[in-house]
Amino acid sequence: MRPGPVPSPSARERSRRLWCLLGALLMAGTAYAEPPAPPPYYAVTNVTVVTGTGDPLEQATVLLADGLIEAVGQGIEVPADAWVMDGEGLTLYPGLVDSLTTLGLAREEDSGSGSGGSSPGRGGPTIRGPEDRPRTTPWVAAADILGEDGRIEKWRKAGFTAAVTGPADGFFAGHAALINLGGDPARNRAVVASPVAQRLNFRNPGRSRTFPSSLMGSLAYIKQVFSDTRHNTLAEAAYATAPRGRERPTYDRTLATLEMDLAQGTPFLMPAHLGRDIDRALALASEYDLPVVIYGGQGAYTRVDALKEAGVPVLMSLNWPKEEKDRDPEADTSLRTLYHRRMAPAGPARLAAAGVPMAFYSDGLATPTEIFKNVRVAIDAGLSNQQALAALTSAPARIFGVADRLGTIEAGKIANLVLATDWPWTKDVEIKAVFVDGLKYEERVSDEPTEPPAMNVSGVWALTISTPRGSQDVSLELTMEEDGKVTGETVSERGTTTLEEGRMSGNLLRFKTTRTMGPGTFTSSWSLTVEDETLSGSFSAGPMSMEVTGERTSGPDEDETGDEDSDEEPKVPLEEMEAAMALYRGPAARMGTYALTHATVWTISGDTITDGTVLVRDGKIAAVGRDVKIPGGMEIIDAAGGHLIPGIIDAHSHITIEGGGNEGSLAVTSMVRIGDVLNPDDIAIYRALAGGVTTVNVLHGSANPIGGQNQVIKLRWGGTAEDLKFKGAPPGIKFALGENPKRSNFRIPGMPRRYPQTRMGVMDVIRQAFTEARTYQNEWQQYEAAVAAASVRKGRPRDSSNPAPLSPRRDFKLEALVEVLEGTRLVHSHCYRADEIVQLLRLAEDFGFRVATLQHVLEGYKVADEIAAHGAGASTFSDWWGYKMEAYDAIPYNAALMTRRGVLVSINSDSGEEMRHLNQEAAKAMKWGGLSELEALKLVTLNPALQLQIADRVGSIEVGKDADMVLYDGNPLSLDSVVQKTFVDGDLYFDREADRRRQASIDAIKAKLAPEEKKEEDEGSDDATEGTVEDPPSKPSPEVIWQEQPYTCREVRS
Amino acid sequence: MSRTITRRIGSMFKMAALMLALVLPSLTGAGSLVIVGGTVHPVSSQPFVGSVVVTDGRIAAVGTNVAAPAGAELIDAAGLHVYPGLFDAMSQLGLTEIGAVAATNDQAEMGAYNPHLLAATAIHPASEIIPVARANGITHTLVAPRSSAGGVIAGQAALVNLAGWTVEEMAMDPALAMVITWPRTQTRRFDLATFTVKETPFREAREKAEKAQNELRDWLDAARHYRQAEEGDSSRLETDRKLAALAQVLDGRMRVIILAASKADIEAAVAFAEEEGLDMILAGGRDAWEVKELLAEKDVPVILGLTGSLPHEDDLPYDRPFRNPGELVAAGVKIAFASGAGGGGGPGGPHGSRTLPYEAEAAVSYGLPAAEALRALTLNPAEMFGMEEHLGSIEAGKIANLIITDGDPLQIQTHVIHVIIAGSQVSTDNRHKNLYERYQRRE
Repeated sequence: MRPGPVPSPSARERSRRLWCLLGALLMAGTAYAEPPAPPPYYAVTNVTVVTGTGDPLEQATVLLADGLIEAVGQGIEVPADAWVMDGEGLTLYPGLVDSLTTLGLAREEDSGSGSGGSSPGRGGPTIRGPEDRPRTTPWVAAADILGEDGRIEKWRKAGFTAAVTGPADGFFAGHAALINLGGDPARNRAVVASPVAQRLNFRNPGRSRTFPSSLMGSLAYIKQVFSDTRHNTLAEAAYATAPRGRERPTYDRTLATLEMDLAQGTPFLMPAHLGRDIDRALALASEYDLPVVIYGGQGAYTRVDALKEAGVPVLMSLNWPKEEKDRDPEADTSLRTLYHRRMAPAGPARLAAAGVPMAFYSDGLATPTEIFKNVRVAIDAGLSNQQALAALTSAPARIFGVADRLGTIEAGKIANLVLATDWPWTKDVEIKAVFVDGLKYEERVSDEPTEPPAMNVSGVWALTISTPRGSQDVSLELTMEEDGKVTGETVSERGTTTLEEGRMSGNLLRFKTTRTMGPGTFTSSWSLTVEDETLSGSFSAGPMSMEVTGERTSGPDEDETGDEDSDEEPKVPLEEMEAAMALYRGPAARMGTYALTHATVWTISGDTITDGTVLVRDGKIAAVGRDVKIPGGMEIIDAAGGHLIPGIIDAHSHITIEGGGNEGSLAVTSMVRIGDVLNPDDIAIYRALAGGVTTVNVLHGSANPIGGQNQVIKLRWGGTAEDLKFKGAPPGIKFALGENPKRSNFRIPGMPRRYPQTRMGVMDVIRQAFTEARTYQNEWQQYEAAVAAASVRKGRPRDSSNPAPLSPRRDFKLEALVEVLEGTRLVHSHCYRADEIVQLLRLAEDFGFRVATLQHVLEGYKVADEIAAHGAGASTFSDWWGYKMEAYDAIPYNAALMTRRGVLVSINSDSGEEMRHLNQEAAKAMKWGGLSELEALKLVTLNPALQLQIADRVGSIEVGKDADMVLYDGNPLSLDSVVQKTFVDGDLYFDREADRRRQASIDAIKAKLAPEEKKEEDEGSDDATEGTVEDPPSKPSPEVIWQEQPYTCREVRS
Repeated sequence: MSRTITRRIGSMFKMAALMLALVLPSLTGAGSLVIVGGTVHPVSSQPFVGSVVVTDGRIAAVGTNVAAPAGAELIDAAGLHVYPGLFDAMSQLGLTEIGAVAATNDQAEMGAYNPHLLAATAIHPASEIIPVARANGITHTLVAPRSSAGGVIAGQAALVNLAGWTVEEMAMDPALAMVITWPRTQTRRFDLATFTVKETPFREAREKAEKAQNELRDWLDAARHYRQAEEGDSSRLETDRKLAALAQVLDGRMRVIILAASKADIEAAVAFAEEEGLDMILAGGRDAWEVKELLAEKDVPVILGLTGSLPHEDDLPYDRPFRNPGELVAAGVKIAFASGAGGGGGPGGPHGSRTLPYEAEAAVSYGLPAAEALRALTLNPAEMFGMEEHLGSIEAGKIANLIITDGDPLQIQTHVIHVIIAGSQVSTDNRHKNLYERYQRRE
């Protein structure tokens, strides 16, 4: 066992005293002596000091007094009252800080930290919406609830003298504190600063049950709370100025806390691992002007510039992504994931180089050993020791606002120090002493001096134990680390036991085993001398001692010891991986100005041109025709034999949604936005491009009568979420009628039934929502009138007779519905049956708006005249039917029949698969219903563009429109035609030839990694390389925070 | 009657008497029919312009110069094409009507081992889905039961014509194959209780799968002992209908369709079938391309799920599922297509049977020869099921399941004009066409 530092006096001594104390208490109840008060003054002399502020000081002296650093420097006189420690050959470092933990909150963690938050499905209150403040406890302060925590000693022994600790669970989890790790944090002056941050989360562990159940729901909720906070501040101020005649603001603990946080500039900790998470966090921070610190941060290598520009610090999780233990060996790991695993540890170096403040935190790692191992991984990836030290000392001190008292070795600062033989994370370092608040926690002198192991004892040994009842065979399986630590197990007829405290010192192997017999446990100590391939010695259990002899039967495996990187993924040269990633993700070619020639050009808006030419300039179509003059020197793509059509537009899809496609917890969720949760890394984008799709209407699911706000995107594969957005496309919102919103085919056991359960209820919910929206609209109109009037009265002093008008509280749910009423937000309503279609149209007419599109609309053919008269578009399936009751009357003639009756019709996919051949789905409307080729192609190009009101930009091949085009090798309506090239904004985003190169490069990288992976498999799942039995297993760091299920609202489950 | 069918009668000797009534398909009652002037695509040979004569439910003659029997009904197919009726090699046609309406679902019984259950006993001849499929050229199918969650032996599949007032009139073989869902190593499953994806550690999942595989082995052992006792005329033997039913598959006497998707599962299933002496057909076969040599070597045919499927891993080629059929054929594996063997981008199943021809054609641009695509919808499944003497091509003596079209039935734009099943013309009317016509008339 590694000798560990314990507070002076020595542990043995203390333990003796403890026994005496206990005895005394038992006998007489009188107090026995306590340890003497620790000395208030220390001097560490002849030591190298890494101050963290400049070059190290050699042969220096550091004086500590009353918990603070009194002096640092060379030639300092040591006061007579100081306890002197000779630091010859040692280095003094600032004490380390773990920048985000739950240290001291162990009990909170066990109890699930549910205080104030609801426990969904477990009898908690039903959450009706943001106003019920789900999982929101911003007022909980770590500083108030600190308690004993066994981890603190472990952390301190390794050199951690302080940590940021805070409640971990909840959308607004509570206040974190910076504490010193001196002992029981509840009993001494552990708190250095509080609050230092307010921690946010974007996940609801009780997902899919109560609001918010999705990532977009969480984000909408958090925004509403921040908006409410800002408004509350105004309302309180207004009320304080002139309470008469004003509505009294309601006291709200959440808002009061957050107002204080905002006023004090307390940073908000936002979870963000991957690049897209970081984008999301930065957007939220800038939208509400929040001081933000990102935690997670492992994808920061992709966002260095953005972080620098935003001035947002990063708490970097040291729990580097790695292959899960015990995964399906058949399951593939994507190149993207392999790349991320490779690059994540390089993030710290890149952030440090750019000057982005960055601090490390342990993030679920169970032991300091693992923490330091992972610090070394970052160092191997380019971080310097000095930068690593900063990330563990001065950077967290600055980020959390305590740089004036912590983080470096300077006179006057808190005496948190580590005295060690080397950088504290170095592999063979010895921590000689740790000072916290000037108190020394000393390295215990080892009971037995250890020597380096004389040999590697890893392998399997066959032992014979001589017992009074004859000899007994035991198999001993050992794994030895370089430093002599030995782990393994004994296997005999009586079972398997795990080795404890195993160490190889010289050629002496010692370990303990514990066996349960009946009610008791018995510990045996083994002491064995190893000579080459044999060993001999004894093992003792209590008073008994038995002879042991044995010999090695297998091992050691060459790979098993030594190289600490053996469990890392084998390396492919970085340039190779980056080249492969560039092919993997991103356009096949950025194109400037070029001409596509000799193609059959289906302009859609006009005649089809055989042997036509299309000129593209700066992403726009510059010319179309048979006799287009091609300027000299222009790049030419010969498309002879090919057919060119406008990029396909899918008017109904759920690709690229991260964190749940439905906020199905409430009947009305108009506040949630698909645009907040786009996943630009979704492989569905590439696959859709390979099917000729260039524009997609990404819709919220159909679980509620009024769902979330949609996002129209262009498939700019390789860009960010923001790059995907189709700028200028009118915003919209999803509605849903029928079986899905009334949850006919959908029941989660234990989940309460949700209103509505009938079509009557669905219509009622929508009508009620718009009734409220009108009221809300009125409030704002009155407010704006009041503002206008007030400006007329300008000059009159503000007083109780002339109060400043206070704006109504912004309600994002109703705001979106007001936009519908005002005609600036398009309604896309999921519907099936003819009757519900007509009901919705009439409801919309009552409220004075027009439904933009009816989605699915499988019985639209029955009421095509009504739809046409209302002016709604219809976006339907080619031929799906019968999967649920309301789809039983669906017919494949639907698109054709509605078209003939004057409805603007499109065909959509609602499926990441079907969207890849929407051209063929359109062709079915020719077979069933007799549409012409042109009419059929319009169903997936111009018509959806018109429905989404983006036809000025896309949907046809016309001069001035975006150069979004698909080149087929034959008639686009044929099953035999294959997409050859797909262009978005003129750039080549899919190319069948480039795809082969892309695939070959993926396969090549994987092939290089494959034999190594085989080796890892053979090593099995022996994960007991470090950590002791009581250590909880390290939690894997989430590589992707949300587990995605392909979603379709066509599914019965909605 | 064919060898297959006679053999089946023998093997089912001790089963319910009901079954005997189902065994002989009613092929009588149809008169004579002559199709003249069309391009005949026999599949088994080159197309030609000529005639097909149908008598008593079977093809009596095919050729350029054949005599029509007196009083035969004449179908003028000039300018049209005559193909064998298309074969949906595995479907749930007749076993379900509306997926979300539990009351209409009869495809998957509870319980893990149901070798004694017969799809034929639950087929609903009046299902609205059947005429929809038929109208696009599907004339017969193997109706296969499915396993409920965690189930292994689903029951016995019935080969039926998609026309008939009763299942007795439809069935060509009421118990053609045993359907087994291979117990797979499932590390991820959707948990309805929490509505989240649950991850199971691989080892645990594998142990669970191996346990189920061993259980399946135990069932076959038990069936073997049961048969031995039965053949030895043991007076103490108590009737066990499950074991009696399962014993049919021993020594390859009844075909076994095993549903498996992943490479490891397919390999395990093939090895299992070989060890147990089963006559195996693979169904689903998502990763069949990875083990095509093995499948060719072991002569295991494959009933493929829908071509239009997404690759199951991010880094697989986007067109991986489209290339599967062509690569299998090139390796010498016999393939068929099916609406009920999995795959697809939305709610699958019998409702999509009508578009099965397109699933075959969609693979043509990715390496499947066009002739093989047609064969995979006609003669291949007939051969797989030992019905090549009765089905799959236009040859004298075969059951007269024919379609007359205005083009290649695998192309979307083609219309099926006439459907002939067991020698009788069947209406192409269906729920969809009727609704279309009714609402076209709406004023």
